[in-house]
Amino acid sequence: MLKHGESTKPAKAIIKTLTLSVMVGGLLLMQDVASRATSQEAGKEPSREEIEFFEKKIRPVLADNCYGCHSAQAKKLMGQLLLDSREGMLKGGTSGQPALIPGDPENSLLIKAIRYTDSKPQMPPAGKLPDQVIKDFEQWVKMGAPDPRKSQTAAASTDWQPYDFNEAKKFWSFQPIKDSSPPQVKDTAWVKTPIDNFILAKLEEKGLKPLGEADKRTLIRRATFDLTGLPPTPEEVEAFLNDKSPNAFEKVVDRLLASSAYGEKWGRHWLDVVRYADTAGCNSDFPIPSAYKYRNYVIKSFNEDKPYDQFIREQIAGDLLPSKTEAESFEKLIATGYIAISRRFGSRNKEFHLTIDDTIDNLGKAFLGLSISCARCHDHKFDPIPMRDYYALYGIFNSSRYAFPGQEIYPHPADFVALASGREAERFYSYQKELTELDDRKEFLTAEKGYAARNKKLKQQQAKPAQSTASSETKAANEQKGSPNHLLRGETASDPKPADFDRDADNWSRAAKTTRMPEEVEAELREVRARIAQLHDNPVKVEKAYAVVDGYAHNARIHRRGDRNNLGDEVPRGFLTILGGQKVPADYKGSGRDLLAGWIADPKNPLTARVMVNRIWQYHFGQGLVKTPNDFGTRGAAPTHPELLDWLAARLIESGWSVKKMHRLIMLSRVYQLASAHDPKQAAIDVNNDYLWRFNRRRLSAEEIRDAIMAVSGTLDRTMGGEHPFPPENTWRYTQHEPFFALYETNRRSLYLMQQRLKKHPFFEIFDGADQSSITAPRNQSTTPLQALFLMNNAWLHEQADQFAVRVGMAYDNWRERIDYAFRLAYGRPAKDEEIKEAMAYLRKVREELQAVKTAPDRLRRASLASYLRVLLSSNEFLYLD
Amino acid sequence: MTLSNSPIPRRQLLRSLFSGSIMMPAVFAHLLAADGRAMELGEDNPLAPKRPHFTPKAKRVIFIYLPGGFSHVDSFDYKSKLIEDANKGRLYQGRRVLLAPLWEFKPRGKSGTMISDLFPHIAECADEVCVINSLRGDHNDHYQATLGIHTGSVTFKRPSIGSWVSYGLGTENQNLPSFVVLAPQLPYAGTQVWDADFLPAVHQGTRVVAGEEPVPNLNRRSPSAKIQEAELSLLERFNLRHQRSRAHDSELAARIKTYETAFGMQQEMPEVLDLSKETEATLKLYGLERGQRTGFGWQCLVARRMAERGVRFIELIDVGASKNWDAHSDMKSHQPLARNVDKATAGLLKDLKSRGMLDETLVVFTTEFGRTPTAEGDYGRGHHCYAYSSWLAGGGIKGGIVYGKTDDYGMKIAEDEVHVHDFHATILHCLGFDHTKLTFRHGGRDFRLTDVHGSVVKAILA
Repeated sequence: MLKHGESTKPAKAIIKTLTLSVMVGGLLLMQDVASRATSQEAGKEPSREEIEFFEKKIRPVLADNCYGCHSAQAKKLMGQLLLDSREGMLKGGTSGQPALIPGDPENSLLIKAIRYTDSKPQMPPAGKLPDQVIKDFEQWVKMGAPDPRKSQTAAASTDWQPYDFNEAKKFWSFQPIKDSSPPQVKDTAWVKTPIDNFILAKLEEKGLKPLGEADKRTLIRRATFDLTGLPPTPEEVEAFLNDKSPNAFEKVVDRLLASSAYGEKWGRHWLDVVRYADTAGCNSDFPIPSAYKYRNYVIKSFNEDKPYDQFIREQIAGDLLPSKTEAESFEKLIATGYIAISRRFGSRNKEFHLTIDDTIDNLGKAFLGLSISCARCHDHKFDPIPMRDYYALYGIFNSSRYAFPGQEIYPHPADFVALASGREAERFYSYQKELTELDDRKEFLTAEKGYAARNKKLKQQQAKPAQSTASSETKAANEQKGSPNHLLRGETASDPKPADFDRDADNWSRAAKTTRMPEEVEAELREVRARIAQLHDNPVKVEKAYAVVDGYAHNARIHRRGDRNNLGDEVPRGFLTILGGQKVPADYKGSGRDLLAGWIADPKNPLTARVMVNRIWQYHFGQGLVKTPNDFGTRGAAPTHPELLDWLAARLIESGWSVKKMHRLIMLSRVYQLASAHDPKQAAIDVNNDYLWRFNRRRLSAEEIRDAIMAVSGTLDRTMGGEHPFPPENTWRYTQHEPFFALYETNRRSLYLMQQRLKKHPFFEIFDGADQSSITAPRNQSTTPLQALFLMNNAWLHEQADQFAVRVGMAYDNWRERIDYAFRLAYGRPAKDEEIKEAMAYLRKVREELQAVKTAPDRLRRASLASYLRVLLSSNEFLYLD
Repeated sequence: MTLSNSPIPRRQLLRSLFSGSIMMPAVFAHLLAADGRAMELGEDNPLAPKRPHFTPKAKRVIFIYLPGGFSHVDSFDYKSKLIEDANKGRLYQGRRVLLAPLWEFKPRGKSGTMISDLFPHIAECADEVCVINSLRGDHNDHYQATLGIHTGSVTFKRPSIGSWVSYGLGTENQNLPSFVVLAPQLPYAGTQVWDADFLPAVHQGTRVVAGEEPVPNLNRRSPSAKIQEAELSLLERFNLRHQRSRAHDSELAARIKTYETAFGMQQEMPEVLDLSKETEATLKLYGLERGQRTGFGWQCLVARRMAERGVRFIELIDVGASKNWDAHSDMKSHQPLARNVDKATAGLLKDLKSRGMLDETLVVFTTEFGRTPTAEGDYGRGHHCYAYSSWLAGGGIKGGIVYGKTDDYGMKIAEDEVHVHDFHATILHCLGFDHTKLTFRHGGRDFRLTDVHGSVVKAILA
């Protein structure tokens, strides 16, 4: 999440950036020229420390403040002075003196200039550099001005790395997985699976004694919520109690894993990780009607126990994987919805680099447990991730094409992929393309209108027409006009566009060159509007996917300080250096996403399997073996059981990446089946239960609460969710002033509720639903008065309790059995005698009170029972899992 | 804090509630034991009042935010040259048409602070107010700039300033949320404006809307008060029984307690919103008719009542994401919007002052950006984040001064830039915080409201 700094660019920096943006990238070339031209100076090579000093403290300042006027790439070279090579510095400019004298800051012109003393020149002209920077330069000159730019080729100069990777690799999470055998324990009878060896060995080492096992009722309730997110039915509980066979629990686990509810529950966990939402997150929060296909793909993948490595490959590069059938290829396209659901920003589609950042941020945390996006603006401060590595990944995604949901200024969806073929697909693509181009043309004309008004004023003021000053460039721009549908954005082979292409800036900058008069522009604008309306009236509908496919394959250049207008070196597309540093070959056809997917899903990658087993463990136990599931870097928590983590990772890989087998392995262990009670002796040693001497009690998640309430009330519709009832695309007029906001209620499971990026569903807002904008794990478990108010007064809850009353009332004709049934449904246990007595007294009393407030006589029983059941549904026994 | 208008003593309320209930005399004993407001709240209550880093001047904040971007050159930033050149038809840098303000500026109060007739009532309070004319934001789009003034970030989701203050100070009245937002409509970026984001959810702003149900699920739905009492009483019994075999689980205990708080809120919130006991003179001060339950006057008076009852951060938003201060086509549209907020805001300042509360209440009056000194179309102005105005008053702030200067036209900052981060740092300072130390560990990093920036504007501190 280290994405700060984005917000604060002082005016000065912006101005500097503008002047610099053009030339910095030419640095590489310049170095090459310089180094070939210069005979190597005698003397020692700069040491690693010296190079580091230069790279961290000198080079960025030169690039940001000086190269704009003093480099080979400067638009206009000032004073004949080149500061982008050591040679240039030693040679100096028109003054005839060297800009610096190594070892002698007092007589170095460069130092004098940046000190801003009375003598001229004072540099940089935009204002004095901070004192610390000036001190750095003085020190650097004193050191002899060590400068790797003099003695190395361009390629070599970029080999400088801010980290010692050999050293960095010693960190535990970058070490290969060690598949050590389970340790010996004293109490061998306690061990059910090898997992227990690891757990018990630690407990024994710490002098901790585990609690006994949970009773069968607790266990089946725990396992059922855990695997399906639903409460066990009274019949399931009874069947388990009556099954005296030694593998009774195993049968329960297998039954649950085979149920379709399993994929809904664990699919939802994954949706937390990938910050799934049904809207884009841009200023107007455009809906994405086809996003649900990715959601359902995730559910299906878990239900089918799709190997996790395959799951990774499909989500990152499904479009590039071979398929046997068309249906299979469509499913893999849908899988890339993982990349497409990256967050969108702004109103004008200008901030696509932030969307790519969001992709990289999530990819790093979800699969690798690394905060890669910290390296967007600077080398990662804590983990060995240089900016170069960030932009190596950036290049891969910038070479891809993301489906575009539409935005305030460019409101039509673009680049969606048809789940159809032949003519049907072609018709859709031409429809989509035409609307996209019309959006561009419309914005171009909107911009042009302003400039045309200027032209008219100038024409009125001057005797000569404005056109006389038109440059050839302007004329060329004008020649583009014509019928709108073959204009502009239409990407051609000769003019490919990267994903982060700023179509808005493009439209506006071209419009600025216009020589037309307002009338002409207005006329065309009317035409464009009419054509859009015509297309709206005749929509071409097709099944489509919010997907990602390959685009213009090319390497990215570093955005200095995260500023996309301040470009640095080009870096080849590739993977993180610390994880192998594989590169996309220069002649590779395509973005390289398929290669990236392979590097991540590689069993030799030390992080992928570890991160995934840790997530599975965390969802079972409420805490991971690594407590920071999204940060396996140096700032994350160290594993409490490193050997177990590795052993599990090795088993995951060995099983062919089967997630269901991992569940079985974990759940059949003794440690999963422990009671959740308290023990002051153990708590005194391990108050946080890091070593798992007991099971962690937990509150039900938001989805579990809602689903369980509906399940026991008998109102839950178990149908899988499909598309949300969004308004049709051709009616969308969303803006930041009137953004898309909607609530679509349903009796289906909670994961099928429409989830917006900009506005949480009120229920999820109250009960800690997932964050739809960034990776969630683990969920918060807050306890707030607003939750209590919901359970006391919410209309939906009152309705559910009423339905619950009907269900219980219809099932039995006497109160004793009704109350008992309610307990079995809600708590998974029969009611005790005292509880039944209490209930009877309560119902009587409430009926009296209901009569007093003139409730219709035929509603008395139902209303009193509903009142009682509200209490059941808001009680801790219902809301917590032992 | 003042509790003169406090509702019936809670102890008494609880006693009458539960002694009349069906089951459980033990319940109210338990609740009574917990009844000591802040005193007995355990450390694990994230809303327990906390001490800031140093002794603060202000105990709470009333944060007035006007969506759309009100014009600085029409309100608080007097530019004689802009008026002069605009009237002569001179262009800005030979290219852009200058537009003169529609409202006349006059020196106000003893201090002589220049404020225009757009805000004649606020102008009467000039000696309380510190006008900042050199505020600077990072983005010229409403959505991003709105998040900027609230969270410090124009790009990423971050906790709101109100959530940070709640996180840092807790709250004095456990029956009311610590961070309340009075907003008749949703502003740009919707509920993100008061989202706690990665801070614990209890610090999220609670939106209160005038009307039948000011807070979702606030109104009793059980058929009668007695039945609700019975339900709560039985629930307590269930939960205590459940807890018996699960002692030492502070979360279970905390949840039991939330019902007490929720019940308290159900009782106290309507009372806070009930203005019937306010005097005619007070209503008049805010420009309110008796019985009126809408408008900014209502919001301001409710804000004062909340401030009295210990709410920590009260945000007032006058209008929503459309039909607001975004005067692209005609600056005249500022007039009715100003009329809506002017008298009420001034009334709030005067009322707080007369009750001796202004010294400990920081009042903030701000927007997401200013407007261009040049014209958009013939009569409107565009977005302008490079220099704009806001003001602060009350706890910790020197009144009757103007800080920061723009150039002759109000286009660029000429002196003493106050970046939004500096603005936030200063607000936190008034509340007793070193903004660099009010941090929250999230995703491996310590986050703060001011990111890695911000410095306190010392010159405006009392």
